Amino acid sequence: MFGSATTLERALILIVAAFLVFLPSIVRDPYHIHTATMIVYFSFMAASWNFVCGYVGQLSLGHSVFSGVAGYVTVLMFTQMGLSPWIGMLFGGFFAAVLSLAIGFPTFRLKGPYFTLTTIAFAEIMRIWFENTDNFIGIPLKGSEGLVVPLVGDSFWAFQFNEKLPYYYIALALLAIIVIATAIMERSKLGYYLKAIRGDRDGAEALGINPTKYSLIALSISAFFTGIGGAFFAQFFRYINPERNMGIDLSIDMAIMSIIGGQGTVLGPILGSFILHPIAEVARTSLGGSFLGLHLVIYGAVLALTVLYFPQGIIVPLRKLLARISGGDVK
Amino acid sequence: MDPTLALHVVKNGLLIGGIYGGVALGLSLIFGVMRIINFAHGSMLMVAMYLAWGLWAGLGLHPYIGAIITVPALFGLGYLVQACIISHLFRREKAFVVEPLSALLLTAGVFLVMDNLVLMIFGPDVRAVSIDLAYANFFLGDIPINIPRFIAFVSAIGVAGVLSWWLKTSDMGRAIRATAQNRDAATMVGINVPLVYNITFGLGTAILGLFGALLVPFFSVTPTLGLAFGIKSFVVVVLGGIGSIWGCVVGGIVLGLFEAFASQFVTATSAQIFSFGLFVVILLVRPSGLLGKA
Repeated sequence: MFGSATTLERALILIVAAFLVFLPSIVRDPYHIHTATMIVYFSFMAASWNFVCGYVGQLSLGHSVFSGVAGYVTVLMFTQMGLSPWIGMLFGGFFAAVLSLAIGFPTFRLKGPYFTLTTIAFAEIMRIWFENTDNFIGIPLKGSEGLVVPLVGDSFWAFQFNEKLPYYYIALALLAIIVIATAIMERSKLGYYLKAIRGDRDGAEALGINPTKYSLIALSISAFFTGIGGAFFAQFFRYINPERNMGIDLSIDMAIMSIIGGQGTVLGPILGSFILHPIAEVARTSLGGSFLGLHLVIYGAVLALTVLYFPQGIIVPLRKLLARISGGDVK
Repeated sequence: MDPTLALHVVKNGLLIGGIYGGVALGLSLIFGVMRIINFAHGSMLMVAMYLAWGLWAGLGLHPYIGAIITVPALFGLGYLVQACIISHLFRREKAFVVEPLSALLLTAGVFLVMDNLVLMIFGPDVRAVSIDLAYANFFLGDIPINIPRFIAFVSAIGVAGVLSWWLKTSDMGRAIRATAQNRDAATMVGINVPLVYNITFGLGTAILGLFGALLVPFFSVTPTLGLAFGIKSFVVVVLGGIGSIWGCVVGGIVLGLFEAFASQFVTATSAQIFSFGLFVVILLVRPSGLLGKA
C-alpha cells in the first residue's frame, strides 16, 4: 500500500493507526473524543480535497460547496422523506459529484489563479443562493437560518447516537476509506495521468492523455467524498447552515491542511490536519474566547512559512528525517 | 423600468463602479508587473479603512485629512510585505519568475493573518465614521448626487490618470514598465528589479490607503470586509483586462452598473450572485478582458 515507504515509516504509520483505533479506551471524556473526531473529520476532508487538487496541481478554494450541497441533500431527505442518512449521504455524495462535473467541465480549462478564483466564485454563488432562499420549489431550505436535524434518540438507522464514540469510529472508518482510495488511485493509471498533467499539461496532452477527462474523473470522486464528509458533519452537529457547511472558511481549511502537510501524497493532508486542528483547538480553549481568530492567524503564518521553506509540505522534511534515523537512503 | 428610476440606477452604478475600479487599480498594477495575484488585496483595503477610522475616532481627524497618514502607511505596509515575505519566493525561483500558485498561497497566508489580527484587536463589531458630509448631496438636474461618493469616484479617475501618466513619463515608471515587459532584459540594462517590485507593491497598496480613507465616510468597516472587496477587485481586473489601468476603471464601471441593475430585481445580497456569475462567464468566454488584447 505504501510501496515507497521505509520500514520505519511503515512501523510509524501502523503505530499511529493503532493509536487512533484504541484512543477511546485511553481517553474517555466526551470533550476529548469530540476533539479527536474533529481532527479525523478534517483529515478526511483535507484528504478528499487532495484527491484531485493535490494530484492534478490545481488549487480549488470552492470545495466546501460539495460538502454543503451533500449535507443539505442528506438532511432534507431525512426530514422530508424519512430516508436514513446512511442512504441519504450516498445520494448527497452522488449529487455533489454531478455538481462537480457541471462546475469542473468549464473551469478545468483555466490555469493557476484563474481556476482558483473561479472555484471561489462558484462556491460563493451557491452559498449566497442558499442563504437567501427560504423555499425552493417547495423544498424548505430556510436560508441563512439553516436546518436542524430533528432528534430521534439513539438510533443507528437515523445516524444519531447519544455518545460521541460512534461518531468517532465512523469518521475513522471514512478516513481509512479515503486513505486506501488515494493509495490505490496513486498507483493506478489515473494517478499517473494526473501527475503527468500536474507536471506538464501540454506534454501530457501530446501523449494522448485528455487532461479535462481525467481531472474530471478525479474531481467527481473527490466531490463525492467531500459530500460524504459534509453529510457526516451535518449529522454530527445535527445542524447545517450555508455559512459553516458551504462557506469559504471550510474550503480554506481543507486546502491549507493539505498544502501544509504535503499535497499530492497519501498521508500529507492527514499530517496537516493533525498539526493544525490541535493548534486551533488549543488557541480556542486555553485562551478563551478573548482572541477570536487567533488560530487563523497561526494558520496563515504556518501557511506562509510552509510555502517559503517547505513548498512540498512538511511531510517531505519529515520523511527525510525518518530516513536519516533509520539509516536508509535519502530519496 | 421608468426613466427616472433608470437614471438613478445608472448614477448609483457609475459612482460605485468608479470606486470599484479605483480599489482594483493596485491589484491590476501588481499583477501586470509581477504576475502575482495578491489575495490580501481586499484585506489591505480593510486595514486602510480601520486606520482611517482609528484616526477619526482616536484623534478626531477627518478621514480626508487622515489620508495624509493612511497613504504612506499603506505604502509602507505593501513595501514591507513584498520586501520581507514575497521577495523570498522570487529569490528562490530562477530569473524572478514565480510559480503563480505559490504566490497566491503566500498572499492567502498574509490575508488570513491580517484579517484575523484585526479581528483579534477590534472584535467583530461594525465600525463607522459619522461626519456631516456623509449625507450631503448636490443636484445634477433632478438627480441628487452624494458628495463623498462623488469625491471617491472622481479620485478613482484622477488616480488612474496620474498613475498612467507617471508610468509613461517618470524614470521609475519606465523602469516599472520595462520590468513588466521583460524582467531579464530589465535586469541587464541595470534596473534594480527587486526595488522595482517593492515600489510597485507599495504603490498598489498606497492606492488602497487613499480609498480606505475615501470609503469610510459612507461605508462601515468590519474585519471580514476584505474578501468581498478583494473578489470584486479580481472581477474588475479580469473584466478590464489584466494590467490595463483604464481597463480597470472601465471594468469597475461595468461591474457597478451590472450590480446596480441586478439589485433592482433581486435583493442586494442576491445581486452578488450576478457579479460572481459575470466573473465566471467573462473568465470562460473572454479571459483577456473587455479591453485586453486577445
